[in-house]
Amino acid sequence: MLKHPDTDLVPYLRGELPPADRERVARHLEECPDCRQDTEQLRDLLGHVARAIGQPPAVNWARYRAELREKLEARRGRRAWWWRPAPLALSVAVASVLLFLAVWSGRETLTGADPFTLEEASIGRQLGLLQEYQVVERLDLLEDLDVIRNLDGLASGRQG
Amino acid sequence: MEPSDEALCARVAKRDEAAFDLLVARYQERAYRLAWSILRNAEDARDLSQDAFIRLYEAAGSFGGRSKFSTWFYRILVNLCLDHKRKHRWWKLWTRDEGDDRNDPLLERQPAPVVDPVDKLSRERTMKELAAAVDQLAPRQRAAVLLRVQEDMATYEIAKVLKCSEATVRVHLHRALTTLKKTVEKR
Repeated sequence: MLKHPDTDLVPYLRGELPPADRERVARHLEECPDCRQDTEQLRDLLGHVARAIGQPPAVNWARYRAELREKLEARRGRRAWWWRPAPLALSVAVASVLLFLAVWSGRETLTGADPFTLEEASIGRQLGLLQEYQVVERLDLLEDLDVIRNLDGLASGRQG
Repeated sequence: MEPSDEALCARVAKRDEAAFDLLVARYQERAYRLAWSILRNAEDARDLSQDAFIRLYEAAGSFGGRSKFSTWFYRILVNLCLDHKRKHRWWKLWTRDEGDDRNDPLLERQPAPVVDPVDKLSRERTMKELAAAVDQLAPRQRAAVLLRVQEDMATYEIAKVLKCSEATVRVHLHRALTTLKKTVEKR
């Protein structure tokens, strides 16, 4: 069964095939009338396609080049802006100030004199704890294990 | 003696504006025509061909001279056009593109042929259908056909533009022309 060199026909028409391949295709075309007809049709078709595509609408080339120049200048201007010394230094300065403020306000929160937030004060009022401040003051005693061990004793002593 | 495209590109890499202007003047029509053939929209073709020149300007230093300048430049241009088509594919499904030159009668774009008037209508209709069939080809098949018929590029050059093998280009051309042949045979 003949192997038809379908994908070789277009390069064959253009004379692009290496000599050995060109000879192989040429021999095949002598023996295969279908491929011979296909080759002729391809030759015509390539010409038809070129005509069918047509030509694009006309362009004012001076304006085209002027637009191109403008686009190129705009692009260069946009890129250069980031690298100009003044904006770059300003950006660095602003970033430094913001970083300093963030760190400084964080430290204030950790070492501040007033431990109570508004929320905590609100909860305390509702629980009546702040009214019994002396009790609250002594709550840190519950961190002492001896106190915890002897809590029962304290309670029974009171009852007694 | 006129400097070669490759020599001009080397000068563009050193920011020689005159060399850039000369390259633009040499390739502006071909770039615009190829972009228009792929996109079928004059405004897009103008924008994208200009974008290709801008890329050329910015990337001139990376042109190593391993291929012809035209191959390298057309690769930039074709990639821009194919990317543009990909991005606008879904949008065009939902909108009617008022700027699409496909709506323009083919007669306005071609010189009047001197032929038998009886045959004229039939051939013009065939040409119109053939142009429409080219528009319907898969993007890379279409690009391969256009580079062949409009720029008369060899298979190995088309392969470099499309960044594929020569065998793949042959397959693209074979499939595209088989599809187009059916359009002509229908008449």
